[in-house]
Amino acid sequence: MSATFLGYPRKNGSIGVRNWVGVLSIMDNCNPITRAICNAVEGTIPITTLFVRGQYGRDLEITYNSLAGMGANPNIASVLLIGLEEMTTEEVARRIRPTGKRIEVIHLQPDGTINAVANGTRKAMRLAIEASGLRRQSCPASSLVIGVECGGSDTTSGLSCNPAIGRMADRLVDDGGTIIISETSEFFGAEHLFAARAIDDKVRKEFVDKVVGFEQDAMKMGLDIRGTNPTPDNIRGGLTTIEEKALGAMAKAGTRPLVGVLDYGEPPVRKGMHFMATPAPAVESMTAFAAGGCQLIFFGTGVGNPIGNMVSPTVKVSGNVNTLRTMPDNIDVDVSELIEKGSKVPDVGDRLYDYTMEVASGTRTTSEVLDNRETAISRFGPTI
Amino acid sequence: MPRALVLNESDNVATLIDTGKAGDACALQGEAKGTVKLLADVPFGHKVCIKDTSEGQEIVKYGTIIGKASAAIRSGAHVHIHNVESVRGRGDQAGTSK
Repeated sequence: MSATFLGYPRKNGSIGVRNWVGVLSIMDNCNPITRAICNAVEGTIPITTLFVRGQYGRDLEITYNSLAGMGANPNIASVLLIGLEEMTTEEVARRIRPTGKRIEVIHLQPDGTINAVANGTRKAMRLAIEASGLRRQSCPASSLVIGVECGGSDTTSGLSCNPAIGRMADRLVDDGGTIIISETSEFFGAEHLFAARAIDDKVRKEFVDKVVGFEQDAMKMGLDIRGTNPTPDNIRGGLTTIEEKALGAMAKAGTRPLVGVLDYGEPPVRKGMHFMATPAPAVESMTAFAAGGCQLIFFGTGVGNPIGNMVSPTVKVSGNVNTLRTMPDNIDVDVSELIEKGSKVPDVGDRLYDYTMEVASGTRTTSEVLDNRETAISRFGPTI
Repeated sequence: MPRALVLNESDNVATLIDTGKAGDACALQGEAKGTVKLLADVPFGHKVCIKDTSEGQEIVKYGTIIGKASAAIRSGAHVHIHNVESVRGRGDQAGTSK
């Protein structure tokens, strides 16, 4: 029997696992207002950006799509857009409007920041009260889109947390749900194994082109990527090369076929296991997951990377006994029994899948409760 | 006795799941059995060589190539960035022979 969870049905048929009012900065100069409103109104989350002004072309398009994608994410009940002026705000608003969710707007011009905070606080308060009237209902696991991430990786990642997350991923795909794995550079050396899982030649070519193209872009810099990826903490944890890291990282996508290849922040249109082309740093990659509609993120860590996403609650999983001793406040699930006791991956992964439904039903994660969360939309071009 | 996991029978490295000291006999688990005597301290999570490997030879873990030896590596030696090179993302070597 397929798994179920208690979620919030949205007007467009998607299901939220949280029910926040999203207060969203249209550009960098709006962030202080966004944060002031969120500090004043319980039930809101800030969705910020460090740029937009001066961006152009594909870079600006991806930024608008990513901001709107986070606003459209099923975990957001309604949105309050904080803009400088009307034209740029409308670029984001029109992308969120098809979801049918309520959109309110505040502008800094011409009334200034004190009025913007006061008016925004009133609007956010009304939206938060309205959102609190929604009740959770039983929903099928097939409505879940889960991003699988790893960070602060070491050699325990490929032996414990990533294979356990991979089992969770297989269970979700078997129940009709959707998995997205990202971090393009972390396929260098493992892409042939992953490409073999593509459902057809078109998907296989799209995947290989993303990985090879990204490596060629990096090579043009004339540099050795070692020390950047694997990172200094990866190397301290025993990972020697990007190839070794990639083989461990890939385990978190399980074993089911690769059905689609997505651009940064692009939502999947079908069910099953997907690859999304993103830079490897966790904050940028998880921001793309949230923009692509992931309601949850599973994050395997070895030496310990505590950061979570703002919009998509992030479940930290580790199998490193040393990290579990030194950073227990930053880990949600301990899978060290895989290494220490020789427990089997399917058993541990099945328990992780049960926990997935708990978190989807409202159990909070360490990074949520500690508000250890950040947003960063990747840049793909210069600002002028 | 420190333990080390071997993930594939073709691997020439094993991953320490305890802290290893030079001179320790390290017990192999997984896809290989027996012991290997550590020639150097090997931290938790780091790799030990389990088959003598010459310079330029491939380093294999998960049954897959993870790099090549940049120096001869004896069984029992610590295997890491001092004696293994990545062969990917090497813009510094672009245009030169691999």
